[in-house]
Amino acid sequence: MDKDYLMNAGIPPPQPLQFETSMPMPWSSDQSFLNPNSSMDHQFSHFDSSWTSMVSTTTTTADGFALRQLIWKLGGAGASDRPSPLPLLDQINLASLAPPALPSLAADPGFTERAAKFSCFGSRSFNGRTSSQHLQPRSATPGQSMVALPRVASSPSLKLNGSPPPRNRNSGMEMQPERKFGKLPSSGANSNEESSVSEQMPSGETGSKAFNEMNSRKRKSASRGKNKDDRSNSAKEADDDENVKRSKQTEICENEQECNKADENKTNQKPPEPPKDYIHVRARRGQATDSHSLAERVRREKISERMKLLQDLVPGCNKVTGKALMLDEIINYVQSLQRQVEFLSMKLASVNPDLDFNMENLLSKDMYQQSTSLPQQMYPLDSSSPAYYHHHQNVQQQQLPGTNISSVDPLPLDASLGIQMPSVDGFVQNLPQFSAFTEDDLHSIVQMGLIQNSVQNQSSNMKVEL
Amino acid sequence: MKARMQMSSSVVKQEFFKKWIKGMQIYSAFNKEMTIMERKRAIKLSADVAIASTRSATTQWSRAVVADVSTSAAGAARAAAEEILGRKLPERKALATTCSKKIVRRSHQRRSKAAARGVVRSSAAIAKKLVRNRTRVLKRLVPGGKKLDEISLIKETLDYIACLQVQVDVMRHLAAAAESLDHQQISF
Repeated sequence: MDKDYLMNAGIPPPQPLQFETSMPMPWSSDQSFLNPNSSMDHQFSHFDSSWTSMVSTTTTTADGFALRQLIWKLGGAGASDRPSPLPLLDQINLASLAPPALPSLAADPGFTERAAKFSCFGSRSFNGRTSSQHLQPRSATPGQSMVALPRVASSPSLKLNGSPPPRNRNSGMEMQPERKFGKLPSSGANSNEESSVSEQMPSGETGSKAFNEMNSRKRKSASRGKNKDDRSNSAKEADDDENVKRSKQTEICENEQECNKADENKTNQKPPEPPKDYIHVRARRGQATDSHSLAERVRREKISERMKLLQDLVPGCNKVTGKALMLDEIINYVQSLQRQVEFLSMKLASVNPDLDFNMENLLSKDMYQQSTSLPQQMYPLDSSSPAYYHHHQNVQQQQLPGTNISSVDPLPLDASLGIQMPSVDGFVQNLPQFSAFTEDDLHSIVQMGLIQNSVQNQSSNMKVEL
Repeated sequence: MKARMQMSSSVVKQEFFKKWIKGMQIYSAFNKEMTIMERKRAIKLSADVAIASTRSATTQWSRAVVADVSTSAAGAARAAAEEILGRKLPERKALATTCSKKIVRRSHQRRSKAAARGVVRSSAAIAKKLVRNRTRVLKRLVPGGKKLDEISLIKETLDYIACLQVQVDVMRHLAAAAESLDHQQISF
């Protein structure tokens, strides 16, 4: 769908525009590929687009590399571990023109500040800050490069939050340089681009429309502040409302061109709009700015953070990205664990005529004491039964003071283990991660009375490492 | 939550094991002769209550497990649970939740009608639907998860998974040891 937006830009392409349409193709296809994965991916692709656009605009200089890393790290903080940001960034950076006139934003100390804040705020848009910063240098540059840059930058940004109408942007843009931090830099970049575009192409209604098309995208949150503006964030909410209204209007007009999706990204495309309409807080890129969406954003971030924790806990979840797939894995894992509990309790019930486990331990101790020493052998048990080996190792290594140390024969245990192995192979194989418990755990458990006999250290016999 | 998870698992295992054995001893004290199914149920219940008590009612799922036991358990089970928890379980009658079939049927019909009407709207909608279905399943799996919102559900799931892992781990070791001992006894 984003591809469509790009294709349907309908702008009489100057050189940079052509570049733009060609460049983001692989990227947009990547995006569209990622989109169906999950809603989470969807959201994060917004992040990606905004970040990439931000990066593309700002990393054209040598400092851009460090900045790109910083931005990518920030992206990593917000987005779950997705491989997409970096390749996208790489693509864009490689493909993006290096407008000579573009000032190095990386050198801008305020930018790194904002970048740092960005990580705190998550996906808040950098609109206010960056746009103001970008504005002056941008405006200084001659037309073509200026036009080229925004094209390049905005093309990857699928979810550009409402590219403001080019013409009116200028007035808004040049207002207060300080905007409250909290906007995505990409949207700032976009706004800059758009403003520059507006400067350059006063008749570039189509250009703005192209931006809008690219930017528009279906969004969860209802409202999106689209127009970039230098307004202080205190008036942000009001601005957002206005933006929403205006964006809805623009959406309506854009729909005819198949640009808009129902949701957020609204850009004011109507050229004749008076400048005052564009005085809005810059909307976050790809995110709504009203209180509802902010709360939802926070909620989503919380969820993603917890999902990340779950990824560490659930085996085999690192390769999976997206809420739905991860939930699937989690469900499977919980079900398997519960089934194992059932199975094990059944097994224990079948093993014991009565639930007297301590007796067993005492009995085993006697048995061990009476057993004759048998030649110790090493049984090459495969890794599918790590529990046995660990257990065995601990049993052998345990030494209780004051108790008779009898030579424990590994043979009978091994034999029993060997016998037991096939019965639980299928069961154990489901839990490869269980082999990772420490010896200390087993040691303590065994010490608790499972097997009271102290065993001479037979670790030399047990050479199988798991 | 993270701090909880980083707690020493061996400590948890020890605690769980002790409580579990305690519970099972109570069971065996109650009746010496139990069928295998009764034994299995005793083992499982003791294990569940023991692992839930290691959380000492800080998590929703542990509270739900204890509440479930207090409503459905009787006799030996209750005594074992009380011993494990170290406190008396409140007497609770199982609430009979009646579900009006008509309402449920109507809601299902409405939903199916809407689904039949709607074409594949968008990937995002599909993804959302998937996530919603799976969240529902997860809520069913995690004890006490029905009343949780998504964020706390994930949190509870994290804790629940960690505790399940502990439980399975200890049970496996006990089963392995018991079995090896059993075989040793047989062989001798």
